[in-house]
Amino acid sequence: MGRFLTFIGEVSWFGLKALVVAFWPPFEWEFFMIQIEEIGWRSLPLILAAGLALGVVLSMHTRGTLVQFGAEALIPSLQSASFFNELGPLITALLVAGRVGAGIGAGIANMRVTEQIDALESLSVDSFKMLVVTRIVACILILPMLTLFMDFASMAGGFLAECFASHISLQLYLDRAFKTMEWANFIPPTLKTSVFGFIIATVSGYFGYTTDEGSKGVQSAATNSVVLSSLLIILADVVLVKAIFFLFPRNAV
Amino acid sequence: MSGPAAVEFDHVSKTFGNRKVLDDVSFKISEGEALCIMGRSGTGKSTTLRLMIGLLEPDSGRVCIGSEDIVNASEKDLSRVRRHMGFLFQSAALLDSFTLGDNLALPLRRLDKSKSPAEITQAVDETLERVGLDMDKAKMPSELSGGMRKRAGLARALVLQPKLLLVDEPSSGLDRITASEIDDLLLKVKKEYRATLVIVTHDVRGARKVGDRIAVLDQGCLIGLGTAAELDKSDHEIVRRLVSES
Repeated sequence: MGRFLTFIGEVSWFGLKALVVAFWPPFEWEFFMIQIEEIGWRSLPLILAAGLALGVVLSMHTRGTLVQFGAEALIPSLQSASFFNELGPLITALLVAGRVGAGIGAGIANMRVTEQIDALESLSVDSFKMLVVTRIVACILILPMLTLFMDFASMAGGFLAECFASHISLQLYLDRAFKTMEWANFIPPTLKTSVFGFIIATVSGYFGYTTDEGSKGVQSAATNSVVLSSLLIILADVVLVKAIFFLFPRNAV
Repeated sequence: MSGPAAVEFDHVSKTFGNRKVLDDVSFKISEGEALCIMGRSGTGKSTTLRLMIGLLEPDSGRVCIGSEDIVNASEKDLSRVRRHMGFLFQSAALLDSFTLGDNLALPLRRLDKSKSPAEITQAVDETLERVGLDMDKAKMPSELSGGMRKRAGLARALVLQPKLLLVDEPSSGLDRITASEIDDLLLKVKKEYRATLVIVTHDVRGARKVGDRIAVLDQGCLIGLGTAAELDKSDHEIVRRLVSES
């Protein structure tokens, strides 16, 4: 237990330090843009494909149940509420943790093992800022955007499934989907993914940056990054949902 | 060798955990001299290089580069000192997400703010030509052979035209011919740049060819320092065995 608490303390300090250092010049714009491309742009196909498929599947599942009660008109609003409130943010974060978290952990650990970090330091480059801070800031900014893509891809999937099943028009589907939606249902859950992004990049960066076990450390960094960041995302989600309900009580109804 | 000291270790000690890697080590390296550091594995050779460039700090003692003590130096001061230093890492340590050209441009962008992009490109091209990699500028490090990677690492260390070049195991993992080519390059660098060289090596042949003097470390202590001929007559058996060509 003591070791676990020490570890949590170290990771927290690592993340806080990154947030503070992020505002100190010089800014690593070039490497930040590389991370935006790597984390955001290259994750997009996975996010869109997963969103579309999940949208179709959720629509098919809910139709089976709601038809029995003659409530199939609720499918679009159920779909939008599910994805915009919870499924979109959480699934996006878990997918990014798998794709990007492992990459960050293994990538930085490999740089440590092959002396690339020492080489940067010998050139007076702040390796922490260049390798860790840029990834953390990129993840914080990119996660909400990827979540939006996931949300809308799932709505598209849901519409396709409904269109095949009931020949519903796009206009009517969107009308039903967003009739009961408010900004408070949409903005806080989307923005909470910034916290997930922070968790993914901080945990993965920590495992990669602090490795000292040679090539075995690269493997451990990749595995630990995914496992721990996924676990922390789920735990943080519980806390954040409670906080959103507290700040926006109508969301809880 | 005499003349002003390019590097001075003054009673330097360094411990990792319970293991004393360097124990009260003192020596001076003159400007323009090539010193080869030899010793069995784990005797503190690479640690010595890392102390010289400020990647590690000693537990006690002074490490001076030129007239400047870099122990506890600020990042700004360290950066200024490093502007005149180059480091060839054992694994070359090229940034694997950068092309060879970008790897060489990085030190210039970071440590030499006076150069324009065109001047940086010119400096990169000239340095690559010097090590025989001018046709490989656009290649990624993964596309290079072991010998090419070493030469690329050397090119990155040279791009700032350093006065002090630190080289960690230049011949490791290379065949004898390629290792000899790297030694020739180091001699050429010493002559053309009038640079001080500190080379950590296990290769006796290379050490005798490139080094003006050889330092021998054993269990963190400096047990021999002198020319190859002097060390051949050393009373210390480990010194004689390490520097012996046979």
